[in-house]
Amino acid sequence: MHRCPKIRPCRAPEGVAVAAVLALTLLATGCSGGRAIDQTKDAAAGYNPDTDVAITWWTGQSADAETLAEKLAAEFHAAHPHITVTTSAGAATTDELLTKLSAGFTSGTYPDVSYAYGSWAGQLAASGKTQDLTQWVKDPARAWDEIPAAARTTATVDGHVIGVPALVDNLALIYNKKLFDAAHLGYPTDAWSWDDFRTAAKTLTDRPHNVYGTAYSISASEDTTWHLWPLLWQRGGEILSDGKPAFNSAAGVAALEMLRQIAVDDKSMYLDQTDEKYPELFNGGRVGMMISGPWTLYNLGNAHVNYGVAYLPGFDGNHETISGPDVWVLFNHSDANRAGASRAFLQWLTSKDIDARWNLGNGNLPLRSSEQNTKEFADYCTQYPGARKFFDNLANARRARPTVEAYPEVSRYVGQAIAAVLQGAASPKDALDKAAGQAATALRG
Amino acid sequence: MTFGLATSRVAPPRPVSTPLRRRRRGLRRAATGWAFAGPATFLVIGLSIFPAAWAFLISRTKWNGISPARDVGWRNYQTMAQDPELAAAVGHTIWLTALFVPSSILLGMLIAVALNRRIRFVGFYRTCIFVPYVASAAATGILATFVFNPQFGIANDTLRRLHLPTQQFLESNSQALTVICVIALWGEVGFTAVIYLAALQDIPAELLEAAAVDGAGRWRVFWHIVLPELRPVTVFTAVWQTITAIQLFDLVYTTTRGGPLQSTETVVFYVYDLAFQTQRMGYGSAVAYGLFAVTMLLTLGIFWYSRRSTVEAF
Repeated sequence: MHRCPKIRPCRAPEGVAVAAVLALTLLATGCSGGRAIDQTKDAAAGYNPDTDVAITWWTGQSADAETLAEKLAAEFHAAHPHITVTTSAGAATTDELLTKLSAGFTSGTYPDVSYAYGSWAGQLAASGKTQDLTQWVKDPARAWDEIPAAARTTATVDGHVIGVPALVDNLALIYNKKLFDAAHLGYPTDAWSWDDFRTAAKTLTDRPHNVYGTAYSISASEDTTWHLWPLLWQRGGEILSDGKPAFNSAAGVAALEMLRQIAVDDKSMYLDQTDEKYPELFNGGRVGMMISGPWTLYNLGNAHVNYGVAYLPGFDGNHETISGPDVWVLFNHSDANRAGASRAFLQWLTSKDIDARWNLGNGNLPLRSSEQNTKEFADYCTQYPGARKFFDNLANARRARPTVEAYPEVSRYVGQAIAAVLQGAASPKDALDKAAGQAATALRG
Repeated sequence: MTFGLATSRVAPPRPVSTPLRRRRRGLRRAATGWAFAGPATFLVIGLSIFPAAWAFLISRTKWNGISPARDVGWRNYQTMAQDPELAAAVGHTIWLTALFVPSSILLGMLIAVALNRRIRFVGFYRTCIFVPYVASAAATGILATFVFNPQFGIANDTLRRLHLPTQQFLESNSQALTVICVIALWGEVGFTAVIYLAALQDIPAELLEAAAVDGAGRWRVFWHIVLPELRPVTVFTAVWQTITAIQLFDLVYTTTRGGPLQSTETVVFYVYDLAFQTQRMGYGSAVAYGLFAVTMLLTLGIFWYSRRSTVEAF
């Protein structure tokens, strides 16, 4: 083998190295600070609507929805010539928006309005860079009460409103009519109990042909966790109580035990390691019932599945469900005109007529109850069978997930507990107690 | 470069150089040097050293990436010592490395020896072996989930046809890590095979002929001539594959996301999980630093070995 002569690299004087590390360290320290914002006065106090102002809008959308967003921004500018809205998706996927916002806070280039998942609300509020809209939404012109309560709660952190709900949804029971017919079973009704659900799942399951009664994600993500919350609430349980974990109560244990029986004792539940396979299996006729939201309607239509939608099965007649609202968060740049303009834009975007085009046009539920009489809503219900049921089910979404800063961490521990129980590796009580211990540490900070 | 040439044309060299001139020339040479090294240095500092320094500062705070960071001193590093989940992740990484590195070296060598001869369609075979390495690990992972799906995958279909018991593969906590290792091997063995193929072709033919003339059989030629000649390459592939195994992330992400029951959670995946799933940036950075320290020690150890035993792998 060829041998090359060794060259000893010359060493930089040690002082230079130390100085370089010191300089980098100082630079880095500067990076995690950012500008402090005066939160004592209203961000839009002194807004002059006649000043020309440019605002940035991160939509968190891609493809068609982003095109529609840009069209709406142009329309808004035509109607309000003083305000220019610069529109962009903000990040490659909605999931990455939080990282982009975090980078934006560090460099001071965050947007005026951004899409955000409801579960981020606590963290975004803790950044100290959000606007306080508590007084603004009280104005009757905002028709704040037309928006579902769970969504309003999600946009509110510690009593302060930080944005306006962008999207509302909820979980309901979606079933494959063909599989029910083949098993000679009656379709699920809005009055079903969880025992009815369990029996049906058992009957639908056909192991030799790889057909499962129902499915559950065990990836330990939020998708795993939030499917448990309505079961807990129906039994009178709470996620947190006085800022401490309460999900390991008798109600929580009973809720998880019910799922464990379906998964472990009956083996009639397909356990999905990722969050992505079970909707596909449902579309392919391998899963009889899935608990999911209105976002699946689009794919169900494309897959030509003969499906129906019913409320979640209930406990003692309580059919409470959960909503996973997303929020338009408004940020404060210590500039009254930008704050005022972004509020004007958001009021326009979430108004009855524009939202009917935005949310219904994108296949989502309408944001406001007043939209149910619009032509767009009638079209939407015709285009997506079951959409009406999801809309009615909004009334069953009475509570919101806690908007605390540590929620993502709490959710992770609960998700791991559920995954362990459904795979037969732990008992509901032990798993939830362990998760509660971990969550308590996370909540203490 | 052009700057230097142009100047030398304007001012022709004089026989005697004054100290001032000498210093100017020194400066010019330094400037030329930095013009070459500058962009790369800037990239390394900007994309590696600066983030590393910043990550170190983050590792001494409690920070979720959004709200202001809180200084916690060395607490994150202390937590590492008593974190059972981290200990499990370390165990998984060690198991994966112990399985992956020797297998990929042995398999690669075997394939290289098999392909290092004049057979028909050898170019086609070599391409076939190398193609999985070119495919991204993410694509490999997604493909593998279809193959190893316990209910609908080809792997279990084949087992069923052969009347063998079907397996849970990626959904069983005792098998998942081994299956991931098999998938990683499928993707990576092309790399070691190509390296060994090149090394085999580098062995002087007269050495092999001399041995054959002296009466050595094929096995003895392999054992006493080929294998010792491959030693530097083996050290190199061992280090390379160890680093690959320690940093395995994309396969885990696309196949199991660390499940079932965290049985495939490697250290790198745990860092990702901490930083981007539960937003514990501070603790995540601390664990990343722990991993960096271990990788650094391993690399230094190999360097030391390679210098001492005159195996020139690097």
